[in-house]
Amino acid sequence: MNSPLKTAAPDAIVHPLKQQKPESAELSPEMKLVQEALFKHVGKPIPRKEDGRLITGKGRFSDDFSLPGQTYAAIVRSPYPHARINGIDKTEALASPGVLLVLTGEDILADGIRDIPHNPVPSTNFDMKLRAKDGSHAFTGPHFLLPSDKARHVGEAVAIVVAETAAQAADGAEKVMVDWEELPFVTDTAKAAEPGAPTIWDEVPDNVFIDTTFGDVEGTNAAFAAADHVVKAEFHVHRVTGVTMEPRASLGSYDPETKRYTLYAGSGGAVRQKNELSKVLGIEPKDLRVLSFDVGGNFGTRNRVYVEFGLVLWASAKIGRPVKFTATRSESFLTDYQGRDLVSKVELAIRKDGKFLAMRSDNLSNVGGRAVSLSPLSKGSGLITGSYDIPYATLRARAVFSNTMCTQAYRSSGRPEVTFAIERMCELAADQLGFDKLELRRMNLIPPSAMPYTNAVGSVYDSGEYEKNMDRALEISEWATFDARKVEAARRGKLLGRGFANYVESSIGTPKERAEIEIKEDGNIEVIIGTQPSGQGHETSFAQVVADMLQVPVEKVWIVLGDTDIVSVGGGSHSGRSMRHAGTVMAMASADLLAEGRKRSAELLGSTPDQIDFEGGVFKLRNSNQTIDIFELGRRTRASHGPLRVIRDNEMHTPVFPNGAAICEVEIDRDTGHVQIVRYTTIDDVGRCINPLIVHGQTHGGIAQGVGQAMWELCAIDPVSGQPLAGSLMDYGMPRSDNMPSFNCEIAEVFSPTNPLGIKAGGEGGTTPALATVVNAVVDALSEFGVKDIQMPVTPANVWRAMNNGRKAS
Amino acid sequence: MSRITITVNGTPQTRDVEDRTLLVQFIREHLGLTGTHVGCDTTQCGACTIHLDGKAVKSCTVLAVAADGSQVTTIEGLAEGGKLHDVQQAFHEHHGLQCGYCTPGMIMASVDMIRRHDGMLDEHTVRHELEGNICRCTGYHNIVKAVLDAAEKHRAAHAVAAE
Ligand code: FES
Ligand code: FES
Repeated sequence: MNSPLKTAAPDAIVHPLKQQKPESAELSPEMKLVQEALFKHVGKPIPRKEDGRLITGKGRFSDDFSLPGQTYAAIVRSPYPHARINGIDKTEALASPGVLLVLTGEDILADGIRDIPHNPVPSTNFDMKLRAKDGSHAFTGPHFLLPSDKARHVGEAVAIVVAETAAQAADGAEKVMVDWEELPFVTDTAKAAEPGAPTIWDEVPDNVFIDTTFGDVEGTNAAFAAADHVVKAEFHVHRVTGVTMEPRASLGSYDPETKRYTLYAGSGGAVRQKNELSKVLGIEPKDLRVLSFDVGGNFGTRNRVYVEFGLVLWASAKIGRPVKFTATRSESFLTDYQGRDLVSKVELAIRKDGKFLAMRSDNLSNVGGRAVSLSPLSKGSGLITGSYDIPYATLRARAVFSNTMCTQAYRSSGRPEVTFAIERMCELAADQLGFDKLELRRMNLIPPSAMPYTNAVGSVYDSGEYEKNMDRALEISEWATFDARKVEAARRGKLLGRGFANYVESSIGTPKERAEIEIKEDGNIEVIIGTQPSGQGHETSFAQVVADMLQVPVEKVWIVLGDTDIVSVGGGSHSGRSMRHAGTVMAMASADLLAEGRKRSAELLGSTPDQIDFEGGVFKLRNSNQTIDIFELGRRTRASHGPLRVIRDNEMHTPVFPNGAAICEVEIDRDTGHVQIVRYTTIDDVGRCINPLIVHGQTHGGIAQGVGQAMWELCAIDPVSGQPLAGSLMDYGMPRSDNMPSFNCEIAEVFSPTNPLGIKAGGEGGTTPALATVVNAVVDALSEFGVKDIQMPVTPANVWRAMNNGRKAS
Repeated sequence: MSRITITVNGTPQTRDVEDRTLLVQFIREHLGLTGTHVGCDTTQCGACTIHLDGKAVKSCTVLAVAADGSQVTTIEGLAEGGKLHDVQQAFHEHHGLQCGYCTPGMIMASVDMIRRHDGMLDEHTVRHELEGNICRCTGYHNIVKAVLDAAEKHRAAHAVAAE
């Protein structure tokens, strides 16, 4: 077999779940202690610590910071999807009142400012390896803070104007004269990959810079040849954007005395911002401090570096004053990193009894004007077969440049796209071949006995009880009594439809994490960790984990994050990785701390560590009444041994596979085509659940984002002018309180064997099956019109058109 | 430039402002009360909701000069004597916030809604009336629960007061 998958899991790297457990993997006594203590407590719905400041207006979001003498920046952006910059005249802008500085791409080159090292190709041992057509490392398109050659999408920053006030900066930006030469452009995903499409980068004349085939091609071909049926379809999971309610903002300053830069900017992880931005500026990482406190939503869009972050730093050094940039909502719509945009052509080979035999998928990801991240394509690639046992599969994964804003991981990166494809295929196959939709799924589900299960493209699913999820979801959604509800809805002139979708997804994420735990003199415990929350409640759930493990009250534990002068390592928050990575490294650090504590208390009590027990936050000499509490121990041994403090690093590459099912019921108005969700039910296997209040909250938000994409959201682009049509909240349909239902969510806990806490991940599971289940429900409701498929978003116009096309056809 | 005086959270504040200054800019930039947020430029998101003479308004759509002489309450002025307002408490207990960016606006809008309806609210009404406040994190489920709970408390308190 000549499968490139060989590169994804070379022989040297044996998947940990497939390895024999070595004897040395025995848990240390302290690790056993922290585990036992933790598992006694987890699962409590503790309200969050961070709420106090957020409900009283004392949050610290990026734009809330101001520095003495600060100036304001405005950005000049390209009005064209593709245009050469023949020159930029700053004269008039510089003469505008209050304007202090204007910088362009020419200045970038003159000052030796480098491109952002996005490193877009995912690189953990278990990521799918994406390459150029000839197998080489792909050209991904350099990302300079300001381009000097041409603009490759509408909204691309081409100059920065700094002035005394924000209004003066905006006025000045109007007066920067760019000599544009418009070029032919392409924005559509499929068209960008067609022969003869306008070239975005000369280095890649056909725009397709990734072209890799995974899986067993011969085996797949043979299975297709032997199949009784082949079902084919094509899907476009369209472009959407994150719409974090806090627009991105940054405040940069430079201290000429210490020669250090400081950046206040909310992001998905301050450490990454520091490392990449210091390379851009050509300085040592230690000379840049990045602060990221409260972050008003991320969902993936803030994980990568934005050009304005580098621009305010560079400009602040040039004028010797702090520079602030806060995006408007329109700028956010144009230039926040966007999500999805995958075209897939899928074929499923089926035996006459309904067994799935093989699958082929051709996936094309639109990355925009340059590649910032290939996470969506890569993450989806490993999951094309979904929750089903499909013995053979081949995937051709391609990525293409186009004249659009760059895409990035967005809420459950890549997973909703492929889940949509496989779950729609189940429906189409059932319909075309006359199977019951649920029975067809059931007979092909991966059974628990097959876990850990290696799918046909090499992903190893760690654990899960897929059929049980399905049964439970059907039960709590009252699937069995649907018909009565349908009759009742019909009486009101509504078409009731129901949709079902299974899902499995993966959480890998940046593998490195560090935790530092210190028993402070003031009777508190300080935990330093490199993840960056943006609403996930880490300050509570992390504190809860540490408090439980060290058996102290949760009020005593304080989580410190978001300042790179304190937090040195950290993978940030993405891919649902935080609790698993941070939880694991915190457990290890807690065990280290207890080991150190036993040693110190043994010394103090005149014994040996193996004679010391630990319970209720107190070290105790066995068979005696001698005890010392952990805080007292810290205080008493501080002078002799230094602070009671540990630092622990951990690296975890093994992915986990959260899974579940979602059921949606919609009512469609016969006359207007308006769709209303009336019931929404989910089961999510998140592994061990630390705080159900928080996990449920994450699931709700995830559902809303998936439902939003299925129903309203779309980064529409006018095909004639290449202009984005959704530039404000008036043109981009959002989930709002009056168009969303209440949810019926349950958590299933099948512990993951890949990490000591058994955690998988929560939140993304709300989004992953949502697109499929909503569309399945809408198609079901419209079945009497002969509708078999419908393009998202299922707006009234699209639904009305589908109803009427169907009518004509039948 | 105009000289204006607005009473914010009980304290009269006099400033010279450019005529194009928005009320939300006055609150955030001139007074440094950063609890009131800006989430859009088209009066859609509600993150900037405050109380102007007792009514919930979107402060991004009022000029500061137009509010000259009026009374403003922001999220910072809602808790009384260190005791959280029932709506704040309910958002906390029901996990009605995640990132917290929409939260000040949500709370200010909800306080006004409960007052206008005298606590007589059902899920449908709450969902309908909060439509002008966008939240990206919570899917609204827990926000609606929080508002209904606070409305219930309001009703109970008033029933007691009426006796
Ligand atoms: S900022 Fe006022 S409504 Fe969005
Ligand atoms: S809590 Fe994040 S926008 Fe509402």
